[in-house]
Amino acid sequence: MIAVSGVAVIPLLLLAARSLAQSWFWPSLLPPVWSIRAWQYVFSPTAEVFPALTTSLTIALAVTLLAVTVSLPAARVLAWQEFRGKRAVIFALLLPVLTPPLAATMGVHALFLRYGLTDTLIGVALSHLISTVPYATLMLTGSFSRFDPDYEAQARTLGADGFDVWRHVTFPAIAPGLAVAASFAFLISWSQYLTTLLIGGGRILTLPLTLVAFQRGGDEAIAAALSLVFLAPAAAAAFSVARFLKEEPVGKI
Amino acid sequence: MFAGCAKTKPTAGLALTAKQFNRTGWEEIVARAKGSEVNFGMWSGDEVRNRYYQSTVAPAIKQQYGITLRFVPTGDVADIINKLLNEKGAGKTAGGTIDLVWINGENFRTAKQGGVLWGPFAESLPNIKHFAEDVRQRDFGTPIEGYESPYQRAQFVIAYDTARVSDPPRSIEKLREWIKAHPGRFTYLAPPDFTGSAFIRHILLFYLKQDLGGTAFDGKFEEQLYQRAAAATIAYLNEIKPYLWRKGETYPTSPKEADRLFANSEIDFTMSYGPSFASERIARGEYPATTRTFVFEEGTIGNYSYLAIPFNASNAAGALVVINHLMSPAHTLEQGRELGSLFPLILESLTPAERIAAEALPLGPATLPVAELARHQLPEPDTQYLERLEKDWREKVLRQ
Amino acid sequence: MPKNFNVRRWLMLSPVLAVIGVLFVGGLALAAAQSLGYFAPLGESALTFRHYAALINDREVYASLWLTLKLAAVATFISAVGGLALALGLREAARRSRVVNLLLQIPLSVPHLAMAGALITVIAPSGLLARAAYAAGLIQQPADFPALINDRYGAGIVLAYVLKEVPFIALMTLALLARLGDEYEQAARVLGASRWQRFRYVTLPLVAPAVVSASLLVFAFIFGAFEVPFILGRPFPAMLSVVAQQRYLDANLVMRPGAIALAVFSTLLTAALAWAYLRLTRALLGLERPFIL
Repeated sequence: MIAVSGVAVIPLLLLAARSLAQSWFWPSLLPPVWSIRAWQYVFSPTAEVFPALTTSLTIALAVTLLAVTVSLPAARVLAWQEFRGKRAVIFALLLPVLTPPLAATMGVHALFLRYGLTDTLIGVALSHLISTVPYATLMLTGSFSRFDPDYEAQARTLGADGFDVWRHVTFPAIAPGLAVAASFAFLISWSQYLTTLLIGGGRILTLPLTLVAFQRGGDEAIAAALSLVFLAPAAAAAFSVARFLKEEPVGKI
Repeated sequence: MFAGCAKTKPTAGLALTAKQFNRTGWEEIVARAKGSEVNFGMWSGDEVRNRYYQSTVAPAIKQQYGITLRFVPTGDVADIINKLLNEKGAGKTAGGTIDLVWINGENFRTAKQGGVLWGPFAESLPNIKHFAEDVRQRDFGTPIEGYESPYQRAQFVIAYDTARVSDPPRSIEKLREWIKAHPGRFTYLAPPDFTGSAFIRHILLFYLKQDLGGTAFDGKFEEQLYQRAAAATIAYLNEIKPYLWRKGETYPTSPKEADRLFANSEIDFTMSYGPSFASERIARGEYPATTRTFVFEEGTIGNYSYLAIPFNASNAAGALVVINHLMSPAHTLEQGRELGSLFPLILESLTPAERIAAEALPLGPATLPVAELARHQLPEPDTQYLERLEKDWREKVLRQ
Repeated sequence: MPKNFNVRRWLMLSPVLAVIGVLFVGGLALAAAQSLGYFAPLGESALTFRHYAALINDREVYASLWLTLKLAAVATFISAVGGLALALGLREAARRSRVVNLLLQIPLSVPHLAMAGALITVIAPSGLLARAAYAAGLIQQPADFPALINDRYGAGIVLAYVLKEVPFIALMTLALLARLGDEYEQAARVLGASRWQRFRYVTLPLVAPAVVSASLLVFAFIFGAFEVPFILGRPFPAMLSVVAQQRYLDANLVMRPGAIALAVFSTLLTAALAWAYLRLTRALLGLERPFIL
């Protein structure tokens, strides 16, 4: 238990220390000089961090909303109905989950070039659906299948209309699964690097792209500060659905 | 950011052709560009420089010309060229998202051959007179023909920590002996990293000159000459390989990684094309204060970087005005003071006051005097040497 | 149209099918076309397998493929065993307190890029572990510390994934255990089964679906992953997606169809491996539907 918390929390503390340290050379175990320079840069209006943060959030929220909206009806059908072609649909959902997204992204790149969707927020958000929709659908299918459709039928016999049934019966039952699927979709989109680089052409600058630029060329304190900024919303998304955690793990693989 | 992401509509008068530009007076171009927006694609890995461009250069341009300068940061300018080639393939010949790109060498050649540059324009800019003739003619051996304007000057230097190395190896031969005498303490960035590629090119130049004997090397690509010199270069690099950091099993792949290794005493040298890079890092507390730089006795490669306009720029007029401003004595002097950049203009072209200011530009603690750098400057060989050597390095050094 | 064709059902499925059909299947098809001689920017317009033939003669591809398979398999195996052990070890604690789940959640929500960055600070030859070793007098200089990043065994890459995937597999397993309860194990105990017998014949078959499906997801993910090997790997050999990305974005456009061919190949290979894995686990464990997602 202590080991688990150690492994979980120590990297965060290290990143925090690194972001505040200056001239922390071998072999000193503790930084000789503390400085908030990196954080000043991250929060300065001239740095590209704030716009990158807004871009990342916009894309991730849009992707989450789209992925969940698209997945809900399908998950309902897949969980409750047996029909010809169901196996094929499940197979189609599993393929993007079980294979690397790179090839499809390259094809999408060519497709989007033709329709002027490269280098745009919309294009990047659409490309993130490749990896989010299958996960969201599969997870929501799990939630629906643990909920007995008979409850809906009973509610209807008691006179509830379609919307009432959804609001008072189905939604509360699948809400935990919904929250988990949504945060999952958010995290996948939020952490996306390669897809954003290819489709956004370096023009749509999300936080992961900024972070890599600093990890490869910039300075270490800023890269550490950016890492913390990068993982904060991800952790927040995970914790905000923490009360449903008994059901499903939240978080990208 | 968001405004920049929207499709930029080509505004009449801004997206002019090079022919129209050459027929139009400069005042007219400046007037047309007023109130427009210029998207500037540049490498974004340097925090200090980013901040300078965003907080000083952009406001100055806004105030002086009424042009909004936006930055399109990229980890690698080749990505922008790629994007342009793609757009050309897809027939997107107008309304491009980038108006101005900071470029040189290989990327320039690819872009020029791919026909994705706008021009010729450089020789018609008022401030071109401040740059030396050879700089205006060729970029890594590629004829410029007005498709890019000279901007900044760079020269390769090597940094070392005087606390660790008292007498650095100042020639290619001495370097080989030093590496063998100090196993594990030297490495270079893996090409195609810009700096790593330049390092191996120095070895190539050394053997090229040796091969030519007394004959002067004109920088042009010659297959036979290359093959002989490349064989010797590969042999040199493989000879030092077992004595490199981590026995040459891996190489740092980004400047940041090399910085970390140097600062933490894993290696004793780093390199850069920016003569003031070590001074900057000392100031940021990233390098020990005892760091200094040196150049090889044989000389080190110096080059210029340039500014070019993409073929489908939405705002060529604005880009021209921005380029001309960046080439001005006022801007280059200020950049020298703010960033310690090497002064790129010919002193003779300046007014007496500008000249005094240029000579008084401060040097950082680790920066070599301009005159010493100039004495040791080698020209960039043809870009074909670079491409061939990078490929050979990958096949014959890295994969061995 | 079949007699029992249900319009409403397919209408509800259509948004998902559209996304997958256009973006994934369409993208893959377009990628395949570009790798088979229809790469418009280079003026290619006739069917050719030469980009695939070139892969067969490419030493870098073999080295890269071998490395990718090896690292993905090793990291997955360690994560599966570690995740299972962690889940079983924390089962009681997890039942009593939600904190366990929360803690396991943290590494899961750390993006790979941040994880790689944090790891460098710790395990680099001049990192904190090495500095502690120096302070303890165990080593004299960074080079004495074992190479754990950019190393020939891919230790840094494996470690980065293990740190993230062990909690993932543990959480999947714990979720399944929580749903199943412990009636079966209680029954086995009453019937006199030993600790080992209870684990081998009751618990393991119960959690197998979670471990099998989670490890398959993990393997597929690592096989195609980019960020961690990009930062913690060596320039040669590099993992498949790093090689494909570098060739795709090479300044020389001629490289691009080959890069796409490599990506398509890697997709087909992973699909085949996933299928084989599912067949194998079905044969060994008798699992019918391993997916609990």
